[in-house]
Amino acid sequence: MDVKEIYWLDELSKEYNDMVGKKCANLGELTNIGLRVPHGFALSVKAYEHFMEATGLKDKVRQIVEDATAKGLNVEQDVGKMIEVSAQIRGAMETTPMPPDLAAAISRYYAELQQKVSIKDVACAVRSSGAVSMPGQMETYLNVAGQDGIVDHVKKVWASAFTTRAIAFRIQQNMPVSWAPIGVAVIMMIEAYSAGVIMTVLPNVGDTDRAIVEGNFGLGESVVSGEVTPDSFVVHKGEMTIESRSVGEKTKMVVYDTVGTRLEEIPADMRNKSCLEDQQILEIVRVAKNVENHFGVPQDMEWVVDKRFTFPENIFWVQARGAKYAKKEAKQDEKYVIDLMLQLFRK
Amino acid sequence: MKMYDCVPGLEFDESLDFQISPAWFLDGTHSVPPWTPMFGWFWINFCRHGMQYGAEKLSLPTVKGWDWRFKDGGAYLALLFVKTPEERKAREERFREAIKPFIDDFTGMWNGFRDELLAMYEPIKTIDLDKATSTEQLETFEKIIAACRRMWEIHMYLMYGTYTAFVLFENMTRQMFGFDDTHRDFHALTSGFDNKSFQIDKELLELAKKAKAMGLDEVFHLNAAGEMRKALQTAASGPSFLKEFDAFMADEAGWRLERMAEINVPTWAEDPTPAFNMIKMSLEKGINYNLDEERKKRELERAETEKRLMEKVPPEQRGWFKMILGVAQNSAKFSEEHNHYCELMCHSLIRRTLLGMGRRWVASGAIDSVDDMFFLFPDEVRKGGINPDMFNFRPIVDRRKAAWKGWVERGNPPAFMAEGFTLEDAMKGLVESMDPIALKVVVGSMPVARPELKADLFGVCGSPGVAEGMVKVVWTEAELSKIEKGDILVAPTTSPSWTPVFNILGGVIVDRGASLSHAAIVGREFGIPVVMNTFTGTSVLKDGMKVRVDANMGSIFILNK
Repeated sequence: MDVKEIYWLDELSKEYNDMVGKKCANLGELTNIGLRVPHGFALSVKAYEHFMEATGLKDKVRQIVEDATAKGLNVEQDVGKMIEVSAQIRGAMETTPMPPDLAAAISRYYAELQQKVSIKDVACAVRSSGAVSMPGQMETYLNVAGQDGIVDHVKKVWASAFTTRAIAFRIQQNMPVSWAPIGVAVIMMIEAYSAGVIMTVLPNVGDTDRAIVEGNFGLGESVVSGEVTPDSFVVHKGEMTIESRSVGEKTKMVVYDTVGTRLEEIPADMRNKSCLEDQQILEIVRVAKNVENHFGVPQDMEWVVDKRFTFPENIFWVQARGAKYAKKEAKQDEKYVIDLMLQLFRK
Repeated sequence: MKMYDCVPGLEFDESLDFQISPAWFLDGTHSVPPWTPMFGWFWINFCRHGMQYGAEKLSLPTVKGWDWRFKDGGAYLALLFVKTPEERKAREERFREAIKPFIDDFTGMWNGFRDELLAMYEPIKTIDLDKATSTEQLETFEKIIAACRRMWEIHMYLMYGTYTAFVLFENMTRQMFGFDDTHRDFHALTSGFDNKSFQIDKELLELAKKAKAMGLDEVFHLNAAGEMRKALQTAASGPSFLKEFDAFMADEAGWRLERMAEINVPTWAEDPTPAFNMIKMSLEKGINYNLDEERKKRELERAETEKRLMEKVPPEQRGWFKMILGVAQNSAKFSEEHNHYCELMCHSLIRRTLLGMGRRWVASGAIDSVDDMFFLFPDEVRKGGINPDMFNFRPIVDRRKAAWKGWVERGNPPAFMAEGFTLEDAMKGLVESMDPIALKVVVGSMPVARPELKADLFGVCGSPGVAEGMVKVVWTEAELSKIEKGDILVAPTTSPSWTPVFNILGGVIVDRGASLSHAAIVGREFGIPVVMNTFTGTSVLKDGMKVRVDANMGSIFILNK
């Protein structure tokens, strides 16, 4: 396939994994099944090659690595040297200007992104997206805004493949040290009003007639990690009625910090409020049901409501996967088979 | 003289019936060539009853079965759609419970019904009609009416249930693996099961082998099938062979009717000529298909295909996928086996009973020939039942017979359509009904003409593959003997008793059929191409033509135009 340097997320799918990395490919896959993901674009490894080759950095980095490893480099003992190599390479990469054509291309995509979301200088997360995940080894930059900032931080992400830890990892794994192509995701920052998960099955009893939505104010981590008792809603998938709701006192929420996230107190007047309106709950269930039909199995999905947009454009999806749930084995299968038969007649 | 309708209350009547449905389709699979009045009465009344019974017992959400009408020996059908969303919903709820036995224990359920049928048939099968009083004869006739009615209830209840699963399974394979029921893997998954029909074929081939071992192949070769019994009686080991042959006929194979959906042709028990013919053919043409070995191969292939496909199914989906597969396999099995216990046995018993009465009626002077019984309908049989010597049915029989001859000569149109209603509209309705029997047996799908192929005839794939061979147009079982190895059989439709000949055929072309009709199931079982729903195959193609059958593309090319 002819590889482009930059893709919109909705152009991507799983097949692009090696070109744009797993994170971007996964988000692309979600758009393919009709989910609204946070708007953004992805730089492929081809953009990395372009940058490294056009600027002469490719040779320069190789030279630095060769010089350093000429007499052998022991990852555990020569820590000082490793730090020095890392600093040299990152310094070179961060100070070398982006080739003008590539900088222009990135700026063009960013300009179009601003139009798409109707927000000038929309703040983005600039993240690494490797073909295989190497958690924590490469940087993520939050709240990056303005075209110069975006271009600058793309370079920073590429350079982050040369942190001391990342270099050590590649030496230990016998991977090429001086050539570390990775994809970069530039995705608008969500201003999360609330976030959480939905499962299109009641996981403990294996009831596939119902879905459960759980959420809290702020980002979804507090729900996923189980730090707070979230609001929860049980919805009958066929009737589309909210059968039960539990809205308790929520004291803390997760918000973005300058780097990463932090826990924050929820204002007292909000603590006992439901984090979702009924129409939002039903919309979340409706979309998740479509995804379940697409894959043929109950889904476990993560949603975010962005405070800047209006319903239903404010509901974004960041994850979808097959749900793990306690199956009432044969009986449950039988029920599912009958569900499928009935769907057949509803066509 | 007042002539009554053949099927009172259910004769096609434009002025009333277009209010029920704007389109009425000819059941080309069963009622071509046109039926005799008596058979029409049984089928129209009870097949109709059975479908509505089955659809109701299962509470199918979209259809309440079919309505049927009789017109000039043709059966015309229309679907009874569920009208309101509220009713659909209520039916869905009941369907949830009603379908369960099909998933839980289909085999147990079918065995139970089979035994019930056999018990109903037993007294009808064993009564000596020639010794019975006329009153007892009439009672037997009433019993076969009741048995036929029950047979159709069971038949359609089971068919609706299993075919729903079959359609679902086909839907699943299309979604998950991208193939439908004409694909090789699909056949591998749903074929290769043993059943009563195959067991009978097997025994027939065993008998042929035995004839050879007994040194009788010469006798079979030199004599026509019709003269075989006489010839065998005088041959060296002939009588001992005949003893086995007759035992086999009395036991199982005697139920075979050349045309499954008619009663005016002899059963094998009455006239074993077709069976002799099959043996003769298998000896002369080297039909030595080893069904046991073949079945083992199929079983292996099925297990391999299952394993290979199952690996593509995510682990959490395997449970229910296997469940649907199991039910779909049951429907393929049932589809081929039910004919033996349902139609063939029941129809031969109708025939047996009417022939028994017919002999008495001829002797009493009510009719001229036993076959005249097929031109009456049950109320008329009741009229003369106890005292046939008091009535003369000749005027009725003569007029009906003359009419019937006209029907057979003219043939029946494929559909009756209200003004302004098109075939496309009607097909759309059928497909939207999701009625599994309409989709898979009677109507099938319509051929798509592909002008770019420049084919001479188009149809629908019933079993994939490509073959070239000489055309043999076959209307009746007697004509099967003209088939040579590699020939292409062209017929209006095929019948279970034709199965053995499939193993020397190169391919099959039928005027009507769908993926669960006989030609398709057996074609897939034997791995030969079958093209169905050509509508005009038997009139366009002639003996002596050489054709290429490309079932994959649903097209037929005449090679020696």
